[in-house]
Amino acid sequence: MLALQLACNGIVTGCALGVVAISFSFIYATTKLFHVAHAGVYTLGGYLAWAMLRQGLPTPIAFLVSIACCTVLGALIQWQLYARLERRRATHLVVLIASLGALAVIQNIIAAVFTANILLFDLPWGSRVIHLGGDVRLTMTQLLTVAASLLAYAALMLFSHGTILGKQIRAVASNPFLAEITRLRPRRTHIYVMAIASALVCLPGILTPLDLGLQPYNGITPLLTATIAMIAGGVGSITGAFVLAVVITELQNLSLLVIPGEWSIGVTFFIFVIFMLFRPTGLFAAAR
Amino acid sequence: MSAYLQAEGVEVRFGGLRALRDCSFTVQQGRITCLVGPNGAGKTTIFNVITGFLRPQAGHVAFKGQSLDGWKPQAIVAAGIARTFQNLRLFVDLTAVDNVLASLPHQAGEEPLSAVFRPLHVMTHQRRRRAEAMAILEHVGLAKRAGDFVRNLSYGEQKLLIIARVLATGAELLLLDEPASGLSASALDNVMALLRRLQAEGKTLLVVEHNTRVVQQIADDVLFLHQGHLMAQGSPETIINDPALSEIYFGGAL
Amino acid sequence: MDFWFSYVALASIYVLLGLSTNLLVGIAGIFSVSQAAVFGVGAYIVAFFLMNDILSFLPALAIAAAGCIALNVLVTLPALRVSGDYFVVTSFGIQLLATAIFTNWTAGTGGANGLPGIPPADLFGKALEDTSSMVMLCVGGMILGGLVFWLVMRAPFGRLLRAIREDELAVAATGKSVLRAKVSAAALAGAFAGTAGGLYATFLSFIDPSSFDLDSSILLLTMVVVGGARTLAGSVLGPFLLLALPQILTLIDIPTTIAAAMRQLIYGVLLIAFMLFRPQGLAGERL
Repeated sequence: MLALQLACNGIVTGCALGVVAISFSFIYATTKLFHVAHAGVYTLGGYLAWAMLRQGLPTPIAFLVSIACCTVLGALIQWQLYARLERRRATHLVVLIASLGALAVIQNIIAAVFTANILLFDLPWGSRVIHLGGDVRLTMTQLLTVAASLLAYAALMLFSHGTILGKQIRAVASNPFLAEITRLRPRRTHIYVMAIASALVCLPGILTPLDLGLQPYNGITPLLTATIAMIAGGVGSITGAFVLAVVITELQNLSLLVIPGEWSIGVTFFIFVIFMLFRPTGLFAAAR
Repeated sequence: MSAYLQAEGVEVRFGGLRALRDCSFTVQQGRITCLVGPNGAGKTTIFNVITGFLRPQAGHVAFKGQSLDGWKPQAIVAAGIARTFQNLRLFVDLTAVDNVLASLPHQAGEEPLSAVFRPLHVMTHQRRRRAEAMAILEHVGLAKRAGDFVRNLSYGEQKLLIIARVLATGAELLLLDEPASGLSASALDNVMALLRRLQAEGKTLLVVEHNTRVVQQIADDVLFLHQGHLMAQGSPETIINDPALSEIYFGGAL
Repeated sequence: MDFWFSYVALASIYVLLGLSTNLLVGIAGIFSVSQAAVFGVGAYIVAFFLMNDILSFLPALAIAAAGCIALNVLVTLPALRVSGDYFVVTSFGIQLLATAIFTNWTAGTGGANGLPGIPPADLFGKALEDTSSMVMLCVGGMILGGLVFWLVMRAPFGRLLRAIREDELAVAATGKSVLRAKVSAAALAGAFAGTAGGLYATFLSFIDPSSFDLDSSILLLTMVVVGGARTLAGSVLGPFLLLALPQILTLIDIPTTIAAAMRQLIYGVLLIAFMLFRPQGLAGERL
């Protein structure tokens, strides 16, 4: 049944988007920066994995090296770009523009090196199809995506609430001024946050293109949907971001039954407008 | 008989913190009322509630018999109440006269249509407004510094400018947040004389002030606020000479 | 000669867009990546009226400007009421949605193939069929736009916007509506963008979605950043400089397959460099 297949696909893509949403939310809640270049880190992860697999490197190595590179890139952007601007007391607008510039640089370096055409992965084990009940078929890649995304969610929740560094990060997020005058070192915390979030976003950056292919400019749409999920779920709530990401993607997928695919961005945007008009603080807004 | 400005049972909570609890007081027209109390007593919070920047969880504020519940800040200024800020918040990259001009209400050319289609009308109107602004600066004693940028003014001059700015709104009830703090003795006398002049012209002033000398010299009434609640109300002498209150305020006698 | 005509005409059109972006981003402080979308709406509206012989150029231009004013107001009003960052999402959404509409609504916009054969502009009955008169029209538009910008900025509205940029709370305390001022600035920006769109459509006589996508919005931001925010000089300098860039790049041997990516890469680098080292641009005030 088509609807059921679409629904399952929606959960797969939704979980991947969920990781984009929770990683972005992690950054936004702590640094208050709208890190647009996150879409670039996402895209880079996929391309690095592709390049390494092309070179014949084993899959786990390719994954790990990509994640490492994304981590470094995220930390670098924070350290060399955002931190510098913050020291100059740059306005929000200035940082946004710089982030947009970083996104343009990353995307277009990728486009110059790999061309703007769609690149496909070549993973035989990935395309093995599993038959679930009710005529639903999922590839290994899709199953891996769900598993990895849920693991990533759990890991972030555990880190944020269970570890000392995680708690420090939450403290910095809730009161940066106080954090400044105690010994929490918000600037260093921001680097950790960007590093962790960039590592996380590399996962969907590789997993989603395994199915759909790579394209240099394909990062911004998932990021946009992820930020809408973050806002609808309530800024500061990791669970809210993840859940809403799945919900929104589900709605998008199911809308394919009635609306042609080119207009899915309209569906997402429509959901955003509804939230903005009726519940701008989101569903799971962190209690203030 | 309803008072000029009346607050009744105002409650403001920030998370777990009760900034104002069951706060009630009145301000009489034409008088200078000083709002005193230790830090954190809720004085600035009261200003925020009266001017519509903060919605109380409970309680009412009424001005000239009319309830201000749910009114937007713009409407409250139009009704005749305006405030200054403790940390000045002047427009630093504008000149003194521009700061005053920016506060004058109802100007032609404050939106694009008239600016584009009636430039001559805007120009003549502006000339009149500029004269008004200069008069206000004259009134506070800053006429000589009209064309200077705010960042080139001394602290004392900046304090006078914020009074000029609040006068420009045309409000009859002025809420002044520490207008005399950080000033030298002569600048202090200047400000106090100005405040008394404003009262003589019919303005009502509600002034947050820490300096007891200032309170003694200019206040007609004093409101003593502690932990968000009005503890005492009376003439400056009674409040200042009350040992229990000065214990709270200073941790000892005056 | 033809090249210079083309350059000057396009630069003039982009100056109008620069003024528009400057109003929105430089002056009202609203981060916008949807300027190209509004530009496109203006272009498609004028193209529609001219190609179907419904209206002549000036009325079509007026409607395009009105449409873009409405679009900007509709978009900024709800978003600004909530929070600045919401507008970032809205702006990206509008731009991506617009590109989707331009590319897929074949009936209205000709889809990905665009609209060829747009008739030339006409002034008071006379069609401007040769390049030099079109160029003069564009330059005239630029001068008119500059005049309007200048009038607006030296009026109390300009002072109000400058005060808002410094301290919104203080402005609100004087009894003025910050929201209304920002939305008015956005409306004016819409008028500029819509007019630029109409001139663009008639000058090139062909439009397609690739001129109005996210990359174009990034180019517009780069023009304002490089030229300088909030000044007339910056709004003129940015477009003239950045439109010369592709010509300069042809002097270096870059394979055409990556030429577009190289241009966008340079815009990205310029954005980062100027924000880090010269936020006031070449001839503007600090962003």
